[in-house]
Amino acid sequence: MSILVHRATRILVQGLTGRQAQSDTEAAIRYGARVVAGVTPGRGGETVCGVPVFDTVRAAQEAHPADASVIYVPPLAARDAALEAIAAGVPLVMVTAEGVPEHDILRMIAAARRAGVRLLGCNTNGVISPGQSRLGGIGGPDPDEIYDAGRIGVCSRSGGMSAEIALTLRRAGLGISTCVSMGGDAVTGTTMAEIACMFEDDPGTDALVLFGEPGTSAEQEVAALVRRGRLRKPIVALIAGAFQERYPRGQAFGHAAAMIAGDADTASAKQALLSAAGVRVAATLDDIPALLAGARAPARD
Amino acid sequence: MIRLLEHRAKAWLRAAGFAVPQGAPAATPAEAARLAAGFASGAVVKALVPAGRRGKAGAVRLVAGADEAAAAAAALIGTEVAGFPVLSVYVEERIGIASEAYLAFVLAGGRLRALASREGGIEIEEAIVSGRGSLAEIEIDPLDGLRPWDAVELWRRAGLAGAKLRDTGALTARLFAAFVRADALMLEVNPLVLEAAGGPMLVGAMAAIDEAALPRHPEWREAAEEAEAWSSGNARERRVAEISRTVPGGECRYVELDGDIGLLVGGGGAGLYQHDRLVALGARPANHCVTPPTGADSRKLKAVIGAILDNPRTRGLLVGFNFAQMARADIRVRSLVEVLDERGMASPDFPIVVRMFGAGEAEARALVAGRPGITYLERGATLDDGVRLVAEQVAARQGPQQGGAA
Repeated sequence: MSILVHRATRILVQGLTGRQAQSDTEAAIRYGARVVAGVTPGRGGETVCGVPVFDTVRAAQEAHPADASVIYVPPLAARDAALEAIAAGVPLVMVTAEGVPEHDILRMIAAARRAGVRLLGCNTNGVISPGQSRLGGIGGPDPDEIYDAGRIGVCSRSGGMSAEIALTLRRAGLGISTCVSMGGDAVTGTTMAEIACMFEDDPGTDALVLFGEPGTSAEQEVAALVRRGRLRKPIVALIAGAFQERYPRGQAFGHAAAMIAGDADTASAKQALLSAAGVRVAATLDDIPALLAGARAPARD
Repeated sequence: MIRLLEHRAKAWLRAAGFAVPQGAPAATPAEAARLAAGFASGAVVKALVPAGRRGKAGAVRLVAGADEAAAAAAALIGTEVAGFPVLSVYVEERIGIASEAYLAFVLAGGRLRALASREGGIEIEEAIVSGRGSLAEIEIDPLDGLRPWDAVELWRRAGLAGAKLRDTGALTARLFAAFVRADALMLEVNPLVLEAAGGPMLVGAMAAIDEAALPRHPEWREAAEEAEAWSSGNARERRVAEISRTVPGGECRYVELDGDIGLLVGGGGAGLYQHDRLVALGARPANHCVTPPTGADSRKLKAVIGAILDNPRTRGLLVGFNFAQMARADIRVRSLVEVLDERGMASPDFPIVVRMFGAGEAEARALVAGRPGITYLERGATLDDGVRLVAEQVAARQGPQQGGAA
């Protein structure tokens, strides 16, 4: 099993006629993803990557209903593209664009919530369930070089670090049920805590690896769920960015979201909070496999 | 986030149809005198810096006429307020204040909020900072906006009633719509004067706008340039910021630190991770950076590389990127080689460690083959391998006499 994307997931690509969308989609189809349609206004009737293109999401949904839409449009067009997918009733919408204005992000999230739609991103390179399917460019031209199938769930605030974690697990002979790049923005449609709960409820996942950063309350929310007993599977967390605490506050060193606002959202504070809740905190990538091995067996089943 | 100076915030609000005091910036005492002479009710002279709480800092002066305005301007220009040099002052008409209130809109942490108090002025700022303030607050649904009846409810909770409640509520709903249209992230009106002739007036106004939205707001372009001039960075940092803003295709960022290992790192997360690991080894990065996606104009990446190499403290370079999933390695390495060649840099004494795998890797390796000082790690090497090697190589090339000098 896996979360969010599976072998059968039918995928729509908004902005399919763009360069990045095409190269990602070609690779996704080679990997086994079921891409059923694309949308670009004014390009309806064309075929791109062997997939029919429609002018609107609604027209695409009527012809080839999709379970998920992956949106490849520039940051200032992302809001309307996401609202269009939500209005057309696509149950899962993923926005890849980085640099979407904050008012736009809030509107997308609010609209998704009202409609009961799962929004991923913005600023994500995707979700991959190794050996089954993927949304977005995660894994690149050949995901098999990076992601092995298995029973570890991965959620990362950094798309690039998803790959490093996957390679680290591979070296240890471990595979992944699903790897979710949740997006590097300060506010994302789906939170780390929500993704952790999906993994908790997924019978195909035995343990979780989380990659966190300074800024936001993402990791604190996970710690609270562990304390409350909502998350019972073993969790290993790697939180980067402690070096920032050597410098004045308000300095953004990485993702916009990695800006430290208060004492609670530094990397060290997050490490301490997670650790106190029973999460195993890794100092390096190489520590992750040993911490997973040493973690207690799953409490469920 | 770009903080607007007061004259820009007020010009925006005036153009959007709100009542604000008349005023204009002045760069000299003579100009300040001329402006103040036009205000029969007296004038206020304020240091024009991108910071709030100026009243408390003594940077707001009430003056009676042209001579006093010139004296106030002379006293403020050239000083420093909240860490910013005062280059000019804002001179505006003095408003007779019968009762002052406070209103703010804030977008932060994924929440849109409106805050209001029937008490405005310096005291409310102090109270908010220290957490003692009693502010009425409502959360705003981004799809609904702040509807007129929401705004009335906000001010009712803040203690207003009667015609004041009606007028202030209506103004607040209109102001919120303008806030959203402008892609503002913060707007603080203090004081909001409720009994000015002709209805409520926005006497004090501070605002900040969303940098990400700049492409759809040509009206903020000058403000963005101005904000950059205020940034405290050195020439190399400012140059990268300028390229980031003016050249299309994703953001690049460069911050200098006090160490000696240059970092050309990719991905927000991998950059943080490698920096942490270097510090854990006792090594000290000379900078941090954020590199743009390879689809961006190559001037962006080259600006970052140039800044790193031009930093006189840099004694070696780590080029550490995640296993490429979307980017091509050769695009980045080509930019690196071009910038090295522009500077005629090819020395075994300037170690460069490259950890970059994925598409275009063979071409990337060919580009650096045989160049002195460059180690392109074997495929399969980890981020930590790159960190360890660059730390070792830079330490090994440091003479013992320079050991702790960095």
